[in-house]
Amino acid sequence: MSVKIKHFPGEEIETRDFREGRVLFESFRPKARYAWSAGIAISRFLEELKNGRILASTCSKCGRIMVPPRIYCEKCFKPTDGWTYVKDTGVINTFSVSFIASDASRLKEPIVVAVIELDGASEGMGIVHLIDEYGDWRELKIGMRVQAVWKPPEERTGAITDIKYFKPVRE
Amino acid sequence: MSLEKITNPLNVRHWMGHMEAEYRYTLGLAGERFFKEIKENGRIMGAKCPRCGIIFVPPRLYCERCFARLEEWVDVGKCGEIYTYTIATIDVDGKKLEKPQIYALIKFEGAYGGLIHRICEADNVYIGMKVEAVFKPPNERKASINDIAYFKPVE
Repeated sequence: MSVKIKHFPGEEIETRDFREGRVLFESFRPKARYAWSAGIAISRFLEELKNGRILASTCSKCGRIMVPPRIYCEKCFKPTDGWTYVKDTGVINTFSVSFIASDASRLKEPIVVAVIELDGASEGMGIVHLIDEYGDWRELKIGMRVQAVWKPPEERTGAITDIKYFKPVRE
Repeated sequence: MSLEKITNPLNVRHWMGHMEAEYRYTLGLAGERFFKEIKENGRIMGAKCPRCGIIFVPPRLYCERCFARLEEWVDVGKCGEIYTYTIATIDVDGKKLEKPQIYALIKFEGAYGGLIHRICEADNVYIGMKVEAVFKPPNERKASINDIAYFKPVE
């Protein structure tokens, strides 16, 4: 609001005027319920996590193995036409060490988040997940081999958190 | 459950939500006075433009042609003429009505615009038919368009 304008033309009404019945009005609450679905590919991917498997989709034209799976190949503009599993091991593509939690509070022990290229998937394909059991965060490196640490089968819910984190594999 | 052919989003992994979009719609100064006149005085008012001479029903605050503020209010009477109509055989939910209901746009003599309302006590209906407003008793009126119970043919 401009400082020069102290009063806009028109009639001002306050919440009180509604409550005390000084103005005539209609009120309405639309039923705006919605369901947001994960789609075909991600739903299957999440279901398979319960079984301790990582699902990928494949395209017969370009031959790529894509994870997380999708039902359209964004390179060939055609539906993907196969499913396969990839390994739960991979390589750190990039990572971030955070000393701040999601609520912006300070952390003594950092959270490490990484993009992990999974073995068996095409180059550059992978998922974002936590890294733990790494010892000293200063020793984390791009290209480091990691392996998934799963929740016990009975605790899995079909969520990405069915994998607790990835841990470095000492070779 | 087949995941290949999904027509219902509830059949795959999903999250439910609800968007809050409650609103209030005020009738405005002219609308407010229009409905208060119906409630308190049982009369249908129009707003007259001092420059164009047009009488707007329902009334508004400004003339839409010359933008003049409308201060003069005139009683347009209880009688009007059917400009157009439709006969409904189902309700808003699509359920069959026990008895068909006539809805009409009623124009008042010398006025621009009109009111949409129910037509009752009618054996037939036609464009140009003269009709008259039937008001609810004063103690049942709530400053709403339904303070007019319906319009009926003028004998």
